[in-house]
Amino acid sequence: MILPIGPIHPGLKEPLRLKLQTQGEKVIKAEIDYGYVHRGIEKIMEGKTWQKCIYLSERICGICSYEHTQTFAETLEIISGVQAPLRAQYLRVITNELDRIQSHLLANSTFFKTLDHETLFMHVLALREYAMDSLELLTGNRVNLGWNVVGGVRMDADERHFNAILENLKKIEDGFDRHVALFEEAPIVALRAKGVGVMTKEEAIKGHAVGPIGRASGLKHDLREEHYTYMDEFDFKPIWRKEGDNYARTLNRLYEVEQSIDLIKQAIENMPKGDIRTPVDIPSGYGEWRNEAPRGEVRYMAETNGDLIKRISIRTPSIMNIDSCARYMLKDVATVADAVSTYASSDPCIACTERVAITDIDTGKSAVKDFFEVK
Amino acid sequence: MLKKLKDIVRKSSIHVCIVNCGGCNGCDVELVALLSPRYDLEQYGIYVHNNPREADVLLVTGAVTEQWRDNLRRIYAKTPEPKIVVAVGNCPQSGDVFAQEGGRVLAPVSDFIPVDAAIPGCPPRPSEILEAVLTVAPGALAAKGRAQDARKD
Repeated sequence: MILPIGPIHPGLKEPLRLKLQTQGEKVIKAEIDYGYVHRGIEKIMEGKTWQKCIYLSERICGICSYEHTQTFAETLEIISGVQAPLRAQYLRVITNELDRIQSHLLANSTFFKTLDHETLFMHVLALREYAMDSLELLTGNRVNLGWNVVGGVRMDADERHFNAILENLKKIEDGFDRHVALFEEAPIVALRAKGVGVMTKEEAIKGHAVGPIGRASGLKHDLREEHYTYMDEFDFKPIWRKEGDNYARTLNRLYEVEQSIDLIKQAIENMPKGDIRTPVDIPSGYGEWRNEAPRGEVRYMAETNGDLIKRISIRTPSIMNIDSCARYMLKDVATVADAVSTYASSDPCIACTERVAITDIDTGKSAVKDFFEVK
Repeated sequence: MLKKLKDIVRKSSIHVCIVNCGGCNGCDVELVALLSPRYDLEQYGIYVHNNPREADVLLVTGAVTEQWRDNLRRIYAKTPEPKIVVAVGNCPQSGDVFAQEGGRVLAPVSDFIPVDAAIPGCPPRPSEILEAVLTVAPGALAAKGRAQDARKD
């Protein structure tokens, strides 16, 4: 039978319909329906100045809102041929990693919630609040930070900010060890997570899985390695695992939190002095840039006409991850309850995923197309 | 006597359903943050379970998109009486940045279902959401419940 889950369902946070084809309790096949939160942001951005567009790009997704603004700013910096000052790049790294910490902790807590492990859920959410505090201290906001501008960042930070952030990170680290022990040693989580929702390396390549989902299946790919700030200034190696099950995905995210804490410490230690913003004059042109968001690769392709954005296309990571989740992870899951937790472990973010499906009326075929292909 | 008991029960156990009808997720993240030990929604007798058939309060976030045009009314109809609707964030009130040329949103929510309270902010802080829900929900629910009982009598 076909079991529909969603769009409003106790197990899901965001509106999306999961159609599970089941035989008894066993899930054979899964299909995912989206389109519930399509707002048409790319279309709204056309013909507006970057000051307005950066505000819109922040509201593509509320969880990884920071990375969208950074990628947008860096795309326009590429078009105009300038680079943000070094101090601004360092401040961007700190905010980026703090955002990654809160996003990963949120994703893990949602996974524990779907396992009905209320204790770990509460522990992880409590730790996340320290990261939110640091973000608020640095930028003034909790979720939509409004921190990036083209050519740098909006505000400077000083010694007091850094000390407070280090104190908060200390608190996260303390709780973190206890929490990893609870996760790694307690049999109750391992029983529900090990060997469930397995995606092999070949399947991950076929399904274009990115970010922590791909890295948990053995793809050693992290775009931070190719970013100029991380490449030149930081000591960074991607974290990856081989197993490709729910346990590996969750643990991979946990260790990435540890790595992010280390990166922030490096940034605060070597913080250079200088300006935080350069004036930018945007010419007409085309540019594209990729960045590693908490969920994987974000790509912006933009065409400008003087100060105005002529056309923009945004590719977010969740579209690939949700697709590979439906095709490979949910293929042979033992129970429906495990299917929901497998879906949660792939860290779906629906708000940035939405696409328009174009239906050809003559043939009745429908397809999701890239915005640049549509005439 | 029974009426007083009903009042007390309605005020002290509030079941909440979150309906995201096309926002950026920011408000939903802040609603999840409300469950954390720092704010701890459940100590006030509020329970979030995302099931409209059992809910007393619908927390609506997001500007209404094309797909939610009918679904929002259906969800509202499925929620049992007495019920109240709280709009969280700027989107359900005005559409925020999405209500521009080219956007596919149908805000405000009050065109589709009656809204009892609205919390502005993009997104509002968790403490603001908590304060608003605690100020509005128990009183409004009890009043609507009393009116419903009176109609039955």
